[in-house]
Amino acid sequence: MLNTPVQGVDEAAANKTFEALLWALSRPGLASNLSAASDEAIIDALIDRECRVYSADPQLMSNILCSGATVSEVKDADHVFLGALRDLASLDDISKGSALYPNEGATVVLRVALNKGRKIRLSGPGVKTVLDIQIAGLPDGFWQNRAEMFCYPAGFDLFLRDGRQVIGIPRSTIVEVL
Amino acid sequence: MSLKSLTKPWQSMSYGFLDPSAKRELRRKMLKSVAVPGCQMPYASREVPMARGWGTGALQVSLTLLNPQMCVKVIDQGADDSVNAASIRRFLARVSGAPTTLDTLEAHLIQSRHRIPEEFLREDQILVLQVPNPEPLRSVQPNMSIARQMHADADYGRMWLQLYEQIVRSGRIMQGASYPSMVNGRHVMTPSPIPRWDVPKLNMSKHLTILSAGREKRIFAVPPYTRVEPLVFDDVPYQVEDHGALTCKRSGAKGFFMNEIPQDDGTSAFEVSDSEYGVKSIRQRDGEAVNLGGTWYKHGEMPK
Repeated sequence: MLNTPVQGVDEAAANKTFEALLWALSRPGLASNLSAASDEAIIDALIDRECRVYSADPQLMSNILCSGATVSEVKDADHVFLGALRDLASLDDISKGSALYPNEGATVVLRVALNKGRKIRLSGPGVKTVLDIQIAGLPDGFWQNRAEMFCYPAGFDLFLRDGRQVIGIPRSTIVEVL
Repeated sequence: MSLKSLTKPWQSMSYGFLDPSAKRELRRKMLKSVAVPGCQMPYASREVPMARGWGTGALQVSLTLLNPQMCVKVIDQGADDSVNAASIRRFLARVSGAPTTLDTLEAHLIQSRHRIPEEFLREDQILVLQVPNPEPLRSVQPNMSIARQMHADADYGRMWLQLYEQIVRSGRIMQGASYPSMVNGRHVMTPSPIPRWDVPKLNMSKHLTILSAGREKRIFAVPPYTRVEPLVFDDVPYQVEDHGALTCKRSGAKGFFMNEIPQDDGTSAFEVSDSEYGVKSIRQRDGEAVNLGGTWYKHGEMPK
């Protein structure tokens, strides 16, 4: 008779983190809670040997290397950890995939401050009508730049983290700066 | 870095059967499929102790999502008690310790083959659909490289032509299940072989739907509050099955999707296809206190 396997601590944390990420990405603009207040939680849940990762934050390097992922340039990376974003230039090279291969668009994790700063209006899949939220800590012109770079379904998907809270902005979301 | 930090304690089986790297891959692909609603994302479908084509894709999604607090319901063609549904449910519970239920309202995760429950799904519920053929263009374009290009170009003219030909030949659209539907105004997907009756339930729904084809190694999703529009012509409205006026002979429930049961005298009797909804209706009729949720269809019609 089979014994039911027990969910370990790592497994439970990764499961909770992924649940939060999936919830956040399917409901853009609404925050959900990660298992820990760090990008390491996201790395543990998503990254392994099949990934190419770019990180602007050297503190994440040990986790990335432990996961077995290849550390690569921004343009080749499928997961990009930019920490707190200072300039827009670093967005240009991020892989956006193509209409033929939308799955090659990268997942980008940024550190922001939620519920203060610039007000933006979200609409699109996952948002019932429109949703107004406030995000601080992104450079000026970030959302305009994002709109110009994307040609749906090509684009990259954003996770904006503030402590344990994370919100997802998938490429399908239309962002209007108020 | 030491050898100890790189290894994990021995276990007879990974939690939830799948190994951590398989789960991570599914997690990444699930996120991508949610980010581009209706677009098929390739993934490396792993071996599970079930034959491909019996729900292995949805099973892998369920195994990735499951935790010991998540209540799981499995449906096969509306029924909770068919062999396929019962064995998948037992397997999920065995490898994850997750509680199981038959009640749609209690479940957090619903794995389904070819039906969407009649009761509303909530925001905190996830519906996982088993998909035998994820490519809506296959009947008009068997070459999948060309089909991919057609999806990239949003070139769906042949889908309309196929529907038009059905109307010319038969006087109505003959597509019964897997009715091609436009998601978010961009990608045409097959909603898995759910009847036409169920397709409007996906439109602007509160729950997340993940569709996974294990044999074909494709995964796609319909996030909450996403437009799902069946392909129709302006002058030929979308029609669901003509079940609105039928009554279930066992439970007396009326206005839901029914199974037709042939009788000895050549006539047909009908039973509500969502078995647990039927059971709850019977209990209510017998005077038990049951929690019947609100349903998508009211009096056999989908409110506009």
